[in-house]
Amino acid sequence: MVGELAGNYSTIVLMFGFAVVAMAPALVISRMISPRKRSNPVKFLPMECGQVPSGEGRTHFMMQYYAYILMFVVFDVMAIFLYAWGSSLLDLPKSATLPIIGFLGIMFAAMAFALHQSGRRDIW
Amino acid sequence: MSVIAPNFKFSEFVKSILDNLFWILLIFTLVGIPAVQIVLFYIEMPVIDGKLLTPFLALTWLADPSRTLPILKAFMNTDLFRIAAFPGFGFAALIAAGTIFVERKMLAKLQLRVGPFYCGKVEGILQLMGDGLKLISKEIIIPAKADKPIFWAAPVIFVATAAAFVALIPVAPGWVVADVDVGLLAVFAIIGFFPIITILSAWSSNSKFPFIGGIRALHQMVSFEIPLILSLLGVVILTGTLNLSEIVESQTNFPWIIFLPIGAIIFFITILAELERIPFDLPEAESEIVAGWLTEFSGMIYGLVQLGTYLKLYAFAALFVVLFLGGWTGPMIWPPFPEEIITDGIVMGPITAKIPGLPVFSQEMLNGVVWFVIKTVGVIFFILLPRGVFPRIRIDMLLSLGWYKLIGLAFVNIFIALGLLYAGVLGPGGIL
Repeated sequence: MVGELAGNYSTIVLMFGFAVVAMAPALVISRMISPRKRSNPVKFLPMECGQVPSGEGRTHFMMQYYAYILMFVVFDVMAIFLYAWGSSLLDLPKSATLPIIGFLGIMFAAMAFALHQSGRRDIW
Repeated sequence: MSVIAPNFKFSEFVKSILDNLFWILLIFTLVGIPAVQIVLFYIEMPVIDGKLLTPFLALTWLADPSRTLPILKAFMNTDLFRIAAFPGFGFAALIAAGTIFVERKMLAKLQLRVGPFYCGKVEGILQLMGDGLKLISKEIIIPAKADKPIFWAAPVIFVATAAAFVALIPVAPGWVVADVDVGLLAVFAIIGFFPIITILSAWSSNSKFPFIGGIRALHQMVSFEIPLILSLLGVVILTGTLNLSEIVESQTNFPWIIFLPIGAIIFFITILAELERIPFDLPEAESEIVAGWLTEFSGMIYGLVQLGTYLKLYAFAALFVVLFLGGWTGPMIWPPFPEEIITDGIVMGPITAKIPGLPVFSQEMLNGVVWFVIKTVGVIFFILLPRGVFPRIRIDMLLSLGWYKLIGLAFVNIFIALGLLYAGVLGPGGIL
């Protein structure tokens, strides 16, 4: 039953909700008992090691390692796909391993190419 | 006249406390008690000794020491107890608190310092409580132009996500909050939320240091998630299940670390990276970018993030124990419950107290918890140790370590597991 399957997961959501319900009062109590002085506008400036901040906080920032994030999008799916095979391996015939080895070969070639391209800092 | 608190008046202090008490009592009477009544109307009460437990009976029996235990046992089997106290939040928070104290003390000893010393009479044992009181009484400063809802919500959601991760960890046979069929996949799903929370809180604070730290955290967690996922595939191949309790039960004879040491080492390294601990603490590099994505957090917000971090640490250490060290399995070291207390009752001179409902916990459960805690504390020790030993590495070294070496070794580990299975050493019909 779909409902029973989903019911197994409800305790995870309950635990999440319990932590929210248990931890949000900490913030509320802290807000109630802590001092709040709005005397100085400099106090609310973003931290920049004592300097008055200049420029935007949210900017276009080139990290140079963006290619690895793109690779994650592809290879994370590959890694999870392997679980579908690995968890049912004991029930599969041994010949079913060969297509997976072929799949891994394709993915290795793709990963080698992607890593080579990611290593070229001049194009990112 | 002291200058520490010039405007302090004792009468106003007492008045504020009494005011707060008045409002708490009023709201509890007008909202709390009716809410309890409404909730009790819908909750299914347990049946004890053939009688349906009404709130009236529960209150009557709780006052009678010889009838308290069955009610407590019925309560311990509810989801609420499991979530709030034993395998869930309370247990994990206790271990997390212990971890913080042990880390500070151990790091101090490694660096020939004293560490927390004055708070509490014995070796600064109350330092954590003092820190908590300090954090909760400090002002929360939110930078101007910050995205306030996300900034407030991020630490709470961080703790809650760590708690959801804790929910999947089986501590003793049958003692797990959420026993799902695809527990390992659920673990991966929950781990995937941490970089999102990190980058959201970093982006919402509208400050440069958290932004750089958040992007570093994103790169690090995302890069090490693939070796983490692949390093556990060997265990899944050998056990043929994704349920964490069944993975533990498959290790009654030998833990998987004997056959898959490479996978265990990769998983341990990726734990260090996911937890942002020292060789990989680039997101919080305090000598480069102030405190990374935690820079703008102050007061209790910072306290909640710390709590979430250590809950996460406990959950990862427990996951290592569950997958590679055999979880709760171990030789029986807990003494059996004395039979004469069950049959004859407790005899104290002329008084004989016969208490139904004993023993509260079975011997297997207590033994399992002891072994689980011993192994988890050991793994936590090895997670803490590098902080006193190693320097921080560069981000390009980190990425090449994750993408080239660890993924390659993870595939070696997968092929070792496949070889063990197909050579007939392990698995159904295997030698062992």
